[in-house]
Amino acid sequence: MLTRVIGRLKPLILGTAGTVFLASCATNAPQDTFQPKGPNAQKIDSLQKPVFAVAGIIGLIVASAVVYSIIKFRDKGQPIPKQSHGNPALEITLTIIPALILAVVGVFTFRTVFDLNKTSDTQMIINVTGQQWWWEYDYPTNNEYGITQPIITSGQLVIPVGTKVLLRETSRDVIHSYWIPALNGKRDAVPGRITLNRIEADEPGIYAGQCTEFCGLSHANMRMEAVALSKEDFAKWVANELKPYVAPAKDSLAKEGETVFLNQCTRCHQVNGLTREDGTPVIAAPDENVWSGAAPNLSHLMSRNTFAGAMFDLLTPECRSDVWKSESATFGEKYLAGVSEPCLNQTDLRGWLRNAPEKKPMYANPALLADTGGKYRGMPNLGLSESDIEKLVAYLLTLK
Amino acid sequence: MFTPGSKYLIAITGLSAFSLALYMLLVHPSALGAVALIGLVAATSLLTGITLFTRDGHAAEDQTSAATLDTPTPSMWPLVGAAGFSLVLVGTVTTPIVFIFGIVAILATLVEWTVQAWSERSSADVSYNASIRQRILNPIEYPVLAAIGVAVIIFSFSRVMLAISKDAGAIIFIVAASAISLVGLLISVRPQLKKSIVQTIAVLAAVGLVGAGIASMGFGLREDLVVAAEEDHYAHQECGEEKSEHFDKGVSETVSATSGADATIELVDGKLTAQVQGIEGLQDSITVRRANPSNIIFRNKDAGEFRLSAHLGKKQIADGVMEDVVTCTQLISEGAEQWLTLTINKPAVSGEPYTLSVPGVEGQSIVVVVP
Repeated sequence: MLTRVIGRLKPLILGTAGTVFLASCATNAPQDTFQPKGPNAQKIDSLQKPVFAVAGIIGLIVASAVVYSIIKFRDKGQPIPKQSHGNPALEITLTIIPALILAVVGVFTFRTVFDLNKTSDTQMIINVTGQQWWWEYDYPTNNEYGITQPIITSGQLVIPVGTKVLLRETSRDVIHSYWIPALNGKRDAVPGRITLNRIEADEPGIYAGQCTEFCGLSHANMRMEAVALSKEDFAKWVANELKPYVAPAKDSLAKEGETVFLNQCTRCHQVNGLTREDGTPVIAAPDENVWSGAAPNLSHLMSRNTFAGAMFDLLTPECRSDVWKSESATFGEKYLAGVSEPCLNQTDLRGWLRNAPEKKPMYANPALLADTGGKYRGMPNLGLSESDIEKLVAYLLTLK
Repeated sequence: MFTPGSKYLIAITGLSAFSLALYMLLVHPSALGAVALIGLVAATSLLTGITLFTRDGHAAEDQTSAATLDTPTPSMWPLVGAAGFSLVLVGTVTTPIVFIFGIVAILATLVEWTVQAWSERSSADVSYNASIRQRILNPIEYPVLAAIGVAVIIFSFSRVMLAISKDAGAIIFIVAASAISLVGLLISVRPQLKKSIVQTIAVLAAVGLVGAGIASMGFGLREDLVVAAEEDHYAHQECGEEKSEHFDKGVSETVSATSGADATIELVDGKLTAQVQGIEGLQDSITVRRANPSNIIFRNKDAGEFRLSAHLGKKQIADGVMEDVVTCTQLISEGAEQWLTLTINKPAVSGEPYTLSVPGVEGQSIVVVVP
């Protein structure tokens, strides 16, 4: 009977085992927790591998014993065997052994937890703010790294390699969780509280992450990327972020795009240094239009590789692949080149400008905003004409 | 058909209805007046119906049974119930507390009157009937009456304490506590004391306290409380130097240990410094995220009372009229700390940074940067 059942289930068992085995062979797995790229993630890795091995061996022993018992003592019509109660020696042994194993695991776990919570050696602070469904990064002034004025960006977190960076996380709306597996474990971003998360990257490169606390409709699309640059390249990135705004040339398509941006986008999106015709600075008012109070600051947008909460690439697949797969020595140069017109992912950017809620599920239906007092969660469909989209794309390309 | 009693009530109902019609048609009606007259019409109609049905109370004469041979004892509960209904009606158009009192009176009537009526018919023995009523209702009545008594005593005492000065309040408190202790001592050392003496003392004390409470309500609040109320003590924030004599005296000077703070601002020896979570050393500026509540702790380590004020630019309140946006902690004494939550939606216009300062401490400020 049992043999027949196993025989029937054989394809299923083999199929599942094969799938699991093949999944473990994936080469393109940027969020693999078993590939640490920094000392904090390495600490977690060094802890989890032996714990996983011990747990695996114990699990295997227990599972084997259960399977053996099921087969050996299966019901064959034999009488019920003699029942016995109490075996102090065996019970004490089976209590002490797991307790000892847990105690050993606990010692190493606590040591790792304390190591990961250390903040006294911090070299750089970055404020990380979660919002449905994107992350904002602001860099307080830090003269040691040339940050003479605060920098604000989103989607991609840029850090210098070999630097102990402390992320001060919070949220503007619901609980989110920040996790870049290659650099550290996850930490919740909770409204009204500051949680600390230290990261450090060994090598230049891009490290992918994902919000890991269910936070609403587009939780699965709330992604993030940490970009590690050499210290020299980081200084260049900082210098670029601090560069003043340069208005597009007169009578250009981009200049027309700037006008469209002023009329349509500045209600929510800030571009530092942008002024109106009369010279007055433009201060966006996302707090009046967006439920959670903020919208991504688009200053130097084209120095980033992603948009819409890192859901879409600003680079075409070829150009993106060129950056992601570049060697450490050349990575900084390629990343700092930003987004050029030939490399711009026009398809997704134009699609986003044409109808953002269609590209990313958001609460952006004007007819369904009674609960939020008419405020959106995410970007609404602005009803832009193709001509306006053409102009806007030309303008956004100038925001380097 | 119509008994003498019902004729009177029919007349009263008719007059009430006529008054109601006149009031609604000719007088400018108010909700309170309409409810009162409708209530009167309803009440008299009900009484008319009952009178007609019971033939002026003689309807049951020919249906008398053994269980109803005894005349029911007079009860106050119909009166309480009627008062309760009146309070409910009045409460619907005045204040909720009157409505709640009415509901409580109706519920009490339902319970008491039902149990009383049931117990009086349970046997022919009046004393047994009384005992069975007590067994059911005393476990409810005693705690409720005790709670009401305690509430009346506390309320009366609080009225007295709010009317007299703080110093006199302390003295009265000591005297009252001593008197209670003395009476307690007297009862404990003289257990054979006459019950009537103890009752007299208790009644006199209660009457005296309630009387003092009523008199205190007549006198009103003491002066500083009146001034505080006029100044909107608890809602108004006076973010400059202290001007009012009575302002901010009730300030809470603690911050929850579990609060998540962005920064701690300290006033030490006339200097203002900032400590930011995760950053070593003292800072002269802090970065606050835009459009997000940021918690800041102000700690006064200087002699004297100070508050932290946040100057957050200007806002337009009318065409061409701008007003400073200022918020602040309450005034705190040396060693105390206060919480200030800032939500700043937009970065400062260049040249006018947001700042934190302490009124009365010149030349010291912390710049608040909003990216």
